[in-house]
Amino acid sequence: MGRSIKDMIADMRSGDQRSLARMITAVENRTQGWVDIMKAVYPLAGSACVMGITGSPGAGKSTLTNRIAKDLVEAGMKVGIIAVDPSSPFTGGALLGDRLRMRDICTLDHVFIRSMATRGVLGGLCQAARDVTRILDASGKDVVLIETVGVGQDEIEVVRASDFVVLVTFPGQGDGIQVIKAGTMEIADLFVVNKADRDGADELLSEICAMLELSCSVRGEIPGVVKTSCITSEGIDDLMKLIYGFVARKRKEPGPAGEHVREEILDLMEREIFRTVRKSFLNNDALARGIDRIVKGKTDPYSVSFELIQAFLMQDEDISRGGTRHG
Amino acid sequence: MKQDEAMGKKEEEIDRSYREWEEGVVKPRIRKFDLKTSPTRFYTPRRDNGHGFLEKVGFPGQYPFTAGNQPFEYWQAFARDAARLGYRPDWGGSGRVGKYGGFGTPADYRDYLLKMHSMGRKGGPNIAFDLPTQCGYDSDSQYCAGEVGRVGVAIDTLEDFGIIYEAYTGEMDIDRVPSNFTINAPAAVIIAMYAVLAKKRGIPLERLEGTPQNDILKEFIARGTYIFPPGPSMRLFRDTCVFCTRSMPSLNINSIGGYHMREAGASRIQDLAFSLANGIAYVEAGLSGGLLVDEFAPKITFNAFGGSMEFYNEIALQRAARRMWAGIMKERFSAKNKRSMQIRQPITAHIGCISTTLNRPLNNLVRAVIGGMAAGMSGSIPGAFPPFDEPLGLGHSQEAVQLQIDATRIMIYEAKVADVCDPWAGSYFMENLTDETEEQALSELRKIDNMGGAVAAVENGYMAKAIARSAYERQKAIENQEEFIVGVNSFTEENEIEVMVNRVVEDTYDQELLQTAEQRQIRNLKAFKRKRSQRSLARALRDMKAKALDDHANLMPSLCDCVESSATLQEICDVLREVFGEAQPVKL
Amino acid sequence: MEQESRVRILIAKPGLDGHERGARVVAFGLRDEGFEVIYTGLRQTPEQIVRSAIQEDVSVIGLSILSGAHISLSRKVLDGLRENNAGDIMVLVGGIIPDKDIEALKGIGVAEVFTSGSRIKDIAGVIRQHMKSQ
Repeated sequence: MGRSIKDMIADMRSGDQRSLARMITAVENRTQGWVDIMKAVYPLAGSACVMGITGSPGAGKSTLTNRIAKDLVEAGMKVGIIAVDPSSPFTGGALLGDRLRMRDICTLDHVFIRSMATRGVLGGLCQAARDVTRILDASGKDVVLIETVGVGQDEIEVVRASDFVVLVTFPGQGDGIQVIKAGTMEIADLFVVNKADRDGADELLSEICAMLELSCSVRGEIPGVVKTSCITSEGIDDLMKLIYGFVARKRKEPGPAGEHVREEILDLMEREIFRTVRKSFLNNDALARGIDRIVKGKTDPYSVSFELIQAFLMQDEDISRGGTRHG
Repeated sequence: MKQDEAMGKKEEEIDRSYREWEEGVVKPRIRKFDLKTSPTRFYTPRRDNGHGFLEKVGFPGQYPFTAGNQPFEYWQAFARDAARLGYRPDWGGSGRVGKYGGFGTPADYRDYLLKMHSMGRKGGPNIAFDLPTQCGYDSDSQYCAGEVGRVGVAIDTLEDFGIIYEAYTGEMDIDRVPSNFTINAPAAVIIAMYAVLAKKRGIPLERLEGTPQNDILKEFIARGTYIFPPGPSMRLFRDTCVFCTRSMPSLNINSIGGYHMREAGASRIQDLAFSLANGIAYVEAGLSGGLLVDEFAPKITFNAFGGSMEFYNEIALQRAARRMWAGIMKERFSAKNKRSMQIRQPITAHIGCISTTLNRPLNNLVRAVIGGMAAGMSGSIPGAFPPFDEPLGLGHSQEAVQLQIDATRIMIYEAKVADVCDPWAGSYFMENLTDETEEQALSELRKIDNMGGAVAAVENGYMAKAIARSAYERQKAIENQEEFIVGVNSFTEENEIEVMVNRVVEDTYDQELLQTAEQRQIRNLKAFKRKRSQRSLARALRDMKAKALDDHANLMPSLCDCVESSATLQEICDVLREVFGEAQPVKL
Repeated sequence: MEQESRVRILIAKPGLDGHERGARVVAFGLRDEGFEVIYTGLRQTPEQIVRSAIQEDVSVIGLSILSGAHISLSRKVLDGLRENNAGDIMVLVGGIIPDKDIEALKGIGVAEVFTSGSRIKDIAGVIRQHMKSQ
């Protein structure tokens, strides 16, 4: 990071994709100075409409995201896309393949696509998505789409960073609506039955409608349901109307809701405490001694962990420095 | 009854002796060397699953064709004459089919072909198309910069197609020589061009011979030159299948490539199962077009199951493949014609380019000979393939091609490898291995059937992902020295001895022409577009679009109309892209 | 496995050639070596590759080319990177590359060329060496 944050932000806002990309990397990696970047970015962000796009593998999320982004750009908007894929829990590596389906839009000046690995960051993925979203927002994007596989807890986390959640389903998964993961149904603001050119789309659509009827008494408003096909373009106009509705709503009510701010602060703290704890116990003698005692059968993990927490809280200086000391 | 009892006793005795041998001889040895299993296998009459000769092997030329499609092949009937005449086969060609190739503009390629003909190198056109053509783009498309006329000839219009055929008139007119088109996604358009060309020449369509590759499924699985999604692609196949059967009955319908999948990383079993699954999907497509199975199945061909150094396994594969396809056609599709049940393919067992190594390249000659031996012992010409300098990536040298052809000749004439039909028939070991291969492929085939068949397994990415995984597993096995490749991951020396022969690589094609082909072809295309009638073009494309929207209609007459009305390949494909959508790559 | 910083690599196939085996094997292999691999797959234009590399902020681009057009395609990618102030991204090329072209590729700025028979471990080694020198 040779150049000043101020310069980089100015470049990013004038459309320089390299500066934007490098800031995302710095923040994602928690490189020294990342907090300063986010502090500088924060006041510039807040106006973009953030939509999470989730659903099971094979639902056609990337193709649909590609299509939505294309239409938004044609309507004169600037679009950022975050595509999340899992990291390997064993090697930490990841194969990020969502750009495959986004070739149409990847060279458009008003589109910026960033692939993101989950990196096994405990409780941190949501915050990482928030950070990247905020940088894209500050760079002038009107809409940020976060695409993620709706199968793991990590992925559900991500959509907490969005203003609206689009759940993509498709016919022919066997069990119809049963396969929609518990917990994702409740968070969706819009249901898309994709691949409508296939058999079974109407059945799935009516199943979803029926389920929403039953649950509408508990929810504030009934989410939209739309049937689409990226091959025949069926339903795309209807989908886009609903999407523009989200954009308009965000414009009417910009700024963060209090409850979201509270969650974010807790997330940030959790992540920093986690980082700090991990880091300080990496080569910690007390921990090593504790392990040794447990192995020899003299004590147990419960006692040792609470002893260590006690000791750690006595020397609390690291956390209060905002994590900036960690490279 | 007594005989049965005696048999039973004998079998029991063999079983007992086998167990004693296993316990008393093999296992101690396994323990002695601290192994998990024995590195070898041994088969006895009891281990061959009591293979029934008549049911499972049979005679060459008879169901289930395990022992071969014929008692002897065409080439064998004339092998002596060929030797006396010093016959030299063309690279990638066979029978009356000329050398596989293509480059530059249609005029460049026509001139090259004329030159070849004047040198006595005759044979029907065996056309390689450039990548823009294979992907349904015209030469002036933004996606094609640098690729026009590179790996094949550029075809944008019927006029282009006709120019190539200016080299085929008189004694080499299209009712005299067959044409091969190595093209898949836009194969329907090329077949339409062929039909219209014949019409213009006043040649009845039923006299046209040849083979369009027309195997779109393996493009999704292995080769990547697809245009439309799998469903509409199969509709195009159906339409070509019906059109060829009804109007061009002497033309083969397609050539199903197992070899391409193997090169892309498929295991032997995947190659076999996926090829047959694709074959089944094509047969079903033909049936869905209203054809009877024996009307068109004899015109479905295959292109080389094969592609590894594993000698025994590759022989078993050929035997299993023939038996399986025969069974599928007879049992599943109730075929009656024996030609419907045969796997017809130009070459069979071979090592595949994937088995050749860049290190110590002359070793590849040895490798190719082993592939040729496997072919000769499994019902085909014992062809050494490919030339040893294949992985050097510079084109084949004259020396390498001569060594390759001589190796084949030595196997045929000196070693007499192909003088016996199915020499492994009845071997305890080979019959068992054939059964194993068949069982494993059938289980994979069942998996695909359960998904809804090959088209579904292409749509959900199963086959492409399975092949990618196999390719990676193989790579890891090589890097971890679980598999050994001589001179690559084992037996390498600090100071490598370079064993080489002189190599002269002639530029097959004129390099200057290659350099300027793109520019010239774009100019030709512009001129072509200026002079054509816009009105008939618009009408033809409009009519074709209407037909495309109607899944029950056959698109071929409209495609013929479009090419005749001067539509370019991309204009036709763009209309179809609009109706069908475009295929999406598989996410790994 | 918590590690915040990861080396990011773009694997792409420029041009219309569809033979993906090498690209996919390398993508799998580098993932298993602990890298974050962005796989853009087939039919990428040099412009798309440059854009993707910049947006993804990768340290390395691996181009897989088997169509024989390796020199012109690599040059376009390298030029595009320099024009976009991203000349520091290391470019590796894999595929069927004749000996005489390997030097030519290195001459125009390709860091290393991997032909058939290359080991993933060696590719990973070159990348790690590059990251150390940064």
